[in-house]
Amino acid sequence: MTAKPMTRNNILLLATLGVIVSALGGIKFWQSRHAASALEPIVLYEPLPHPYCNAVGDGAKAYAKEHGVGVRVVVGQESTMANLNQNIESLYTVGHKAFAFIPVDPAGAKGLFTRLKNGGRFAVAYGAQPAEGSDTPFAIATDTQSAATLAAEKLCELMGRKGKVLNVLESLTDANTPIRKRAIEEVVAKYPEVQIIQTVGDVTTEQKAREKIESALVARGDEVDAVICTGYTTTVAAATLLAEHNRKPGAKRIRFVGLDTDERVLAAIREGGVDMTLAQNPFGHGYISCALLDLQLQGWRPKRAYQFVDAGCVPVTQANVDAFQGGIESMTKTIVGELKTKYLEAPAK
Amino acid sequence: MSSTTERGFGQPDWVSGRTLGLIMFAGVLAIVMALASPSFLTADTFYSQSRYIAFYVLVALSQAICLAVGDMNLAVGAVGSISTVAFGLLVSPNHANLSPWVAVPLVFLIGPLTGLMHGLVITRLKIDAFIVTLSMMFVYMGLRSGISGGNAYTVPQSFWWLGQGGLGWMPYMVVIVLVMLCGVSVLYGRTVLGRWLIATGTNPIATQFSGIDTRRMVVIAHAISGCFAVLAAIFWASQSGNAAPQTGDDWLIISFAVAIIGGTGLKGNLISPFGILMGAIIFKLIQHALVILKVNDNYSNTLLGGLILLAIIVDRARERFGNQSNATG
Repeated sequence: MTAKPMTRNNILLLATLGVIVSALGGIKFWQSRHAASALEPIVLYEPLPHPYCNAVGDGAKAYAKEHGVGVRVVVGQESTMANLNQNIESLYTVGHKAFAFIPVDPAGAKGLFTRLKNGGRFAVAYGAQPAEGSDTPFAIATDTQSAATLAAEKLCELMGRKGKVLNVLESLTDANTPIRKRAIEEVVAKYPEVQIIQTVGDVTTEQKAREKIESALVARGDEVDAVICTGYTTTVAAATLLAEHNRKPGAKRIRFVGLDTDERVLAAIREGGVDMTLAQNPFGHGYISCALLDLQLQGWRPKRAYQFVDAGCVPVTQANVDAFQGGIESMTKTIVGELKTKYLEAPAK
Repeated sequence: MSSTTERGFGQPDWVSGRTLGLIMFAGVLAIVMALASPSFLTADTFYSQSRYIAFYVLVALSQAICLAVGDMNLAVGAVGSISTVAFGLLVSPNHANLSPWVAVPLVFLIGPLTGLMHGLVITRLKIDAFIVTLSMMFVYMGLRSGISGGNAYTVPQSFWWLGQGGLGWMPYMVVIVLVMLCGVSVLYGRTVLGRWLIATGTNPIATQFSGIDTRRMVVIAHAISGCFAVLAAIFWASQSGNAAPQTGDDWLIISFAVAIIGGTGLKGNLISPFGILMGAIIFKLIQHALVILKVNDNYSNTLLGGLILLAIIVDRARERFGNQSNATG
């Protein structure tokens, strides 16, 4: 019995595998004998192109420029834990030493923090707090609970502590959303004559936010006295919608407090169309994150297993709409000035 | 002289011409990346990236099995999502706090049950799979948001071994998925059921006239598809260390991209488990390349989509060229 000759496909397959293995082996051999080029030690990861993320990236770039430290700002494709995991793991394999990223899903990021720590990398969270017990010593963010409480208190003040509120939440899968919802409900519960008439949520885009808010306002007629938004997209949608509504002659003024400082929101406040928004400190989130990572790479060590760095937020009204940025910048400088004394211990000599 | 390649049962080729093209493309990508980054050819990279490849294979199989019978499953990610929430509720210390050994089999039932439901609605009520799975996608996504309230569930560390552990440099996930791929390969290449599934996707009317219950084949395909979606969800929960309700939100594009790159026919009749593995490798290599090559991140989705399209065009061109050569050779 004679053996069948190999098919053309099988010969090609063997040749292909041979070429690939030889090429990769040769490259590895060459690389083992040549020094690798320098790599930025710090990575600041933004989950997706977004005005908040852009400002965080600006903070990181500013730190890199001012301190001569290599910082690579990387933007992901979407704000999901899956995308964050795979991109950070890719960057880990490249050899970067320190990472700052938003724990998009705080509990989900726990495993990622552990893997980075086990791999000898430094990591800090920004923009949101990680789940309890996560292997990261720092979170640099707006205190979600405090900011939502402040927003709700300011809104109640504007309403004269009386009236019906439409509560507009953002993505239901954002870990901050339940915290914001709880904080608002706790504040409203303090005032017997204030009532949340409806809560709408599961919003991730401006268009969807506008649709939902408009539907709620139309359905509730003149019942709604105030609107509170604790997310970026909802704030932009509500501010533009309410500015239009409040400008109409004879229309009942609907009070508004939002979050974040998109230019359209600021314009609506400047023109008196809406009342207030809370300015976060995204520049500071990026700047302070890089400072903490840089200092840890230099040998500074956290004073405690976990510390929250509140980057602060400032209420923006018609009175300070053109001057609030100065307050935020001075807040960042103060926090950076305190890092070596309040949060870190000097390297052992 | 014509080609010696035979098709169908007993073909002497170790891999199809299409899969060979994918191996070549993946090889070129790997060589380019190895040249671009010294960190590419390391054990860390293999360990980290191979787990994603294994995960992509499961998600793609979930879609490919439906595509092979001429259907599609738009609820792949949503089934993964609802399974994740169910798994989280069962294992989280703040909820049922069951052992993962009890929770996994219970959650696994969601796969065949949802698949069975999809299949029965599609075949008995004669509603297009696109409409049924699209509607069910929204049903599951609403349920997961309603049940979880957006909160993720903690997965006990005792269950992280499945997604994070390995046998030396080989992650457990990779070993398990390779075994599954062999199983799928045997199903389609060596069993009557597999041939009936393919026949249903190739020509359902002729298959029906041959005495095969094509409606049952569609139901079976959807049930198997559900199983792979649930497995992917369980693996992901273990790998990430928690059960997040947004799991599955990005699976739909992955399932189609990997399955199609891997040579699964969009109109049924073609499925190649090894091709799907190569599709997953290429998909992951492209994503990893975007990071390594520092491609402007804002355009990364554009490049990813473009490269996937290029891979498919090259593959189809190679196939067409190969056929012409054979015809004239």
